[in-house]
Amino acid sequence: MILIFKFALLFSFGIFILPKKWKYALGLALHILLIVSTGNWALNALMIGTQTISLDIATWSGPIQLVIDPLSAYFMLIINLICFCGILYAAGYLKPYMPKKRSVFISLHLFSFLWLHGAMLLVTSMRDGIAFLLAWELMSLFSFILVIFEAQKESTLKTGINYLLQMHLGFALIMISFLIAANQTGELSFAGVAKYFTQYNNAPLFLLFFAGFGIKAGFIPLHSWLPRAHPAAPSHVSGVMSGVMIKMGIYGIFRVVSLLQNDLMTIGIIVLAVGVVSGLLGVIMAIMQHDLKKLLAYHSIENIGIIGIGIGVGILGKAIGDDYLMILGLAGALLHNLNHALFKSLLFFTAGNIFYATHTVNMDSLGGLVNKMKYTSTAFLIGALAISGIPPFNGFISEFLIYSGILHHLPAATFWMSLVGVAAVLGLVLIGGLCIYCFTKAFGMSFLGTRRSEQHHLVEEVPPFMLFPAVLIIGLILFIGLRSAFFGEAVINILQQLTNVSTVGITPEIVHSLTAVSNINILLIIVMGVVFGVRTWQQRRVKVEQRPTWGCGYSAGDFRHQYTPTSYADSLRQLVDPLIDYTRHYKSFTEKEIFPPPKTFHTESKDLVEEKTVLSWVHLLVKYLPKAGVAQSGLINHYLIYPLIFLVLIGLLTILNIM
Amino acid sequence: MLSLVLILLACIYFPGVIVKVKAFFSGRKGPGILQPWSDIFRLLKKGSVYSTSSSFIFQIGASVYFSTVVIAALFVPFQETTALVSFNGDFVLFAYLLGLGRFLIILSALDVSSGFEGMGANREAFYSMLIEPAFFILLGALAMFTGYTSFHDIFASLHYHNYFSGIIAIIAGYVLANITLVETSRLPVDDPLTHLELTMVHEVMVLDHSGFDLGIIKTANNLKFVLFSSLSANCFIPQSLDLSLRIAIFLVLQVFFAGGIGWLESFRARNKMAMNAQYILSVSAIAMILIFVVIIIKNRI
Repeated sequence: MILIFKFALLFSFGIFILPKKWKYALGLALHILLIVSTGNWALNALMIGTQTISLDIATWSGPIQLVIDPLSAYFMLIINLICFCGILYAAGYLKPYMPKKRSVFISLHLFSFLWLHGAMLLVTSMRDGIAFLLAWELMSLFSFILVIFEAQKESTLKTGINYLLQMHLGFALIMISFLIAANQTGELSFAGVAKYFTQYNNAPLFLLFFAGFGIKAGFIPLHSWLPRAHPAAPSHVSGVMSGVMIKMGIYGIFRVVSLLQNDLMTIGIIVLAVGVVSGLLGVIMAIMQHDLKKLLAYHSIENIGIIGIGIGVGILGKAIGDDYLMILGLAGALLHNLNHALFKSLLFFTAGNIFYATHTVNMDSLGGLVNKMKYTSTAFLIGALAISGIPPFNGFISEFLIYSGILHHLPAATFWMSLVGVAAVLGLVLIGGLCIYCFTKAFGMSFLGTRRSEQHHLVEEVPPFMLFPAVLIIGLILFIGLRSAFFGEAVINILQQLTNVSTVGITPEIVHSLTAVSNINILLIIVMGVVFGVRTWQQRRVKVEQRPTWGCGYSAGDFRHQYTPTSYADSLRQLVDPLIDYTRHYKSFTEKEIFPPPKTFHTESKDLVEEKTVLSWVHLLVKYLPKAGVAQSGLINHYLIYPLIFLVLIGLLTILNIM
Repeated sequence: MLSLVLILLACIYFPGVIVKVKAFFSGRKGPGILQPWSDIFRLLKKGSVYSTSSSFIFQIGASVYFSTVVIAALFVPFQETTALVSFNGDFVLFAYLLGLGRFLIILSALDVSSGFEGMGANREAFYSMLIEPAFFILLGALAMFTGYTSFHDIFASLHYHNYFSGIIAIIAGYVLANITLVETSRLPVDDPLTHLELTMVHEVMVLDHSGFDLGIIKTANNLKFVLFSSLSANCFIPQSLDLSLRIAIFLVLQVFFAGGIGWLESFRARNKMAMNAQYILSVSAIAMILIFVVIIIKNRI
């Protein structure tokens, strides 16, 4: 297996050599090799126990070990699944680009996709600090190359550089955290971090880790790369990035959380608060978007928020010694990783289908696709229902686990814990309600009604092989929804091995609830089938007609009379106005305009958090950094003085022994 | 099982009583108690007209909505007799199931590409998003008070707890009654009888539904009404009484609920559209008060 793994990574360079039409085939084959080898390890790790594989590549701290415990295995399986769907989807999505793009760009793209897959697998299995950071860096670099696939557009390139910078900020934070631990314990690895946690206060180091991993995961206020990078990247890349790559941040947080020893209360409250804020602001910002992929990107933040709520609740459970709360909070978060990976990649793939068919993802000009793209719209609908946490799909199951944990704790909660519990429930409920609001908008505006702008070309369903990954994912979404007890038990087992908490009293109770949920889901599907059957039977016996929509007596309406994304979001906008910087560009009619020319109307909302946290610094830099341009005089004698000054300074510091 | 029978029984006369009471206050004789149901049965037999811009979403929307409400009916208990479905955290599924129905009915409204129905869809999504927290805070407070997390356990033990049960039950019943009004789109949030499409919420969403679909939507609405008012009634009926007496009280209470709604709709003007958000949030605020009452009663401060 180790040979297959190495072989796959080594032969990836072959993508550059092969002729254009064989590149994809080789890429796919290598992906499958990666999946086979690591999938095998992961399954072994889940069934038998932690696997340790030596990679025979030495660093100074000995050969690199792949350590695959159940947590790693779980994430590995998710990575393999989504990357597989991603590469399958890429076959169709890249087709229009094949003749246009130069061969080397296609190779670079496929190569990076494979290496992103490999790097993520390595991230989950590295325990040594250096190796982990190396894998982490590989993951960031290759995803950067994937994001700038359409680098001929200036905005895409800019977004890519923004992304690269932010990833390195995160990288630096994680590295510093490792170094702090190593400085005190002498071990640059997760074991060193564990040792550090037993000896010192946990909160400062954990928060440093949380910030570093949080940038990757996209917790607010560290999220600002996300809504830029996802829309810029091609859809199969956005699907994989949003589905699994941001989960690597969550993986890191899980890994560190499992090592925590003290300060749990503080850490738990902070993580929970960040989770609730990310969830709420994420979905509110999502509702304000016009761009479908940007909307989905904000939803990633929202779902990361839900995961954050689960983790926060879990840490609090550990803090107060309530195992039930801890296990269910973490289990909900862990299962939501899988769930989100499934429905988010499904949504990005279907958004990609829309782009493929209409060349736009701006909801202002979409609409009426449902009759032309029946399968795509069904897939999107299922994704939308799942992400809103609606039964019988999978999103509900993970949210239900978190709810169950909190509700179980409430009766015995202290004053503060009951307030925290109510806040967490409120957060989840509001996120759920807003999600319905958002996805009725996303689906309604993109697929329903009639097209919201003049149609320029024929829109038709994408080729079947672009729908195949969607079918695979929908199957799994339904499977989790209808066999939830199996998955609930699985994640609880993983957590049991990670935290060494006895789950004897917890598993049967939650399995009972989840079995009931799944049975209800099955019953629901049956009842829906029966009702629809009766309806079909009734329709066959009566007269059924097609008429124009009832326009309240006015029959000359056209597509402009429909609701638009802006108007649909308006009632919420009035409520959350202080949170979003909303501007409306419109000149009203003046008295003199007897024959007014066509008017345009344009609204936009800014991300205030980004504005205040990131951009305000950037603006300051942009303002003051040019002042340093004085030094760039263009005279060679000036430039020779600089190294001299530097050398003198270094000399002085050495002589005076200051550093 | 008993609860389901009672709900179906109450369902029969509930809409009729509302109509009758409203007719009484406006000085008319009004139709018979069963007239709303005979209207629905007529609809179920009628042909349908579909909008030319509608799609399969419109075709399945009403059926899904109806099915979710039917399934949700299995969750509602009657006092200590078990509901057909009961497990820990069942009310979470109850609320999210209704969410599924709402999702599809909103989409069916958007499917016909009418500005009016878009308006209704938008309002429905907005108001239901605002009312959801009230339901969860309320159930959270009841779970905190009784120590259980399923509908059945909560209502079975609500009245046996201690002297304070009465206070809790009354506030809870009041909040539930308010939730009922919002969830089922009645006054003061939405006026089902208004004839101006611009100001409707639920009714405008189903403007283009006809025949069988409209019939099952109306059935589902009635059922949903009784579901919520049954939850509310569970809070009000004292448990120490004999079961048959309690059944009688339940059925009479439902008449009172329906009558109350008829009375409310005859004398109260609807809220201004812009005020609805505040009104709905105030229900959540009252539910929040309940949380603090429970915290104080349980000596958690």
